[in-house]
Amino acid sequence: MPTYKLKYFKNRGLAEPSRLVFAAAGVEYEDIRFDREQWQSEKESSSEKYPFGQMPVLEVDGEVISESKAIARYLANEFGLAGKTNLDKAKVDMVVDALQDIAKGLVEMLFGKDEAQKAEAKEKCLTKTIPTIFSALEKMLTSNNGGDGFFVGDSLTLADLAFIAHTDYHVDQLKEAATLSAFPKLTALRERVLEQPNIKKWIEARPKTEL
Amino acid sequence: MPQYRLMYFNIRARAETSRMIFAAAGVEYEDVRVAREQWPAEKASGKYPFGQMPCLEIDGKFTLAQSRAIGRYLANEYGLAGKDNLEKAKVDMVIYVCEDIYVGVRNIFFEKDETKKAEMKADFVVKADSILAALEKLLIANNGGNGYLVGDSLTWADLEFFVRMEYAPFFNAAILDQYPKLKALAERVSSVPEIAAWLKKRPKTDF
Repeated sequence: MPTYKLKYFKNRGLAEPSRLVFAAAGVEYEDIRFDREQWQSEKESSSEKYPFGQMPVLEVDGEVISESKAIARYLANEFGLAGKTNLDKAKVDMVVDALQDIAKGLVEMLFGKDEAQKAEAKEKCLTKTIPTIFSALEKMLTSNNGGDGFFVGDSLTLADLAFIAHTDYHVDQLKEAATLSAFPKLTALRERVLEQPNIKKWIEARPKTEL
Repeated sequence: MPQYRLMYFNIRARAETSRMIFAAAGVEYEDVRVAREQWPAEKASGKYPFGQMPCLEIDGKFTLAQSRAIGRYLANEYGLAGKDNLEKAKVDMVIYVCEDIYVGVRNIFFEKDETKKAEMKADFVVKADSILAALEKLLIANNGGNGYLVGDSLTWADLEFFVRMEYAPFFNAAILDQYPKLKALAERVSSVPEIAAWLKKRPKTDF
């Protein structure tokens, strides 16, 4: 087994899908978390370990991969959680990218330039972006053998794990909008994945962070 | 060979890399370009899983959405994705970094306010320089940088890079002069016979 080091901030954020892949696969890794000052000094002292000056990065036996989704997909491929055929893998990618579109909206809502822009982004997110994408995901899930299993194929993939990571925010912080509860199959999928022993164990053990 | 229909607007933007993958692989497909006026009716038809394009219809049976999912699927099918999981991850890394270039350029292109546009351009040049410097380093680390971005043959990372750098005139036409290996790579990509043929025959579009 190679040695894995995953480096990120003290958040779930962009690293959580990869942490969930490690958990689901039962694979050991070093879960390195920097605060802002540590990151500044890392960036300066070890810039070759951060090819694009950003985190997360994955170090695997001396190789460095950056870009959170490249890392998550690499790990999923290594551990058989990526989908079985090229088409299944593409369906997994489709889910992951669709969730990213919601995440973009949430980032604007939380970190927009000014209050007016944030309010506009919130309105758009809650009334358009999230319902549109969640509807499409509900449909996609349902079309996979009735939707009582997983997003793609007949076993857990990165699509389900990315969905869990992504909807933590919906459940914890977007409560007022009850955005997930309008979608029964998606809601049940989240509960089902969270009950998987390896996932449950990680969720209980992981550092509790706001984002 | 499956029947492919790639559906998008009549622009390069988010479908061009997939069109280049088809060209490089020598695979036939229907290059559907939906006119802006037709789009509302098309969207309402429910054919597009996320109400967006590009989409790739495969054998009339399944429609794949999300431009990078489409690109990666085609690259994997036709051997342009990287040879093993690690190469594929490096290819993906380049794809995501090039996305940052695309989004920056797209925002500039669609900005109507001239003052804001100039400001965005200035900011973006700084960002693009930092991305290109990192890509130049990555390329050089790959056996001296006289081949391709990842591994020892063309991958869709090289195609995506080429497609994004076609937008250089929107922020700094001569930017690649500072990055000689990347500049040579772009020229190398455009000289691949199947790519050169596509570049010659494709519809000419603004964006």
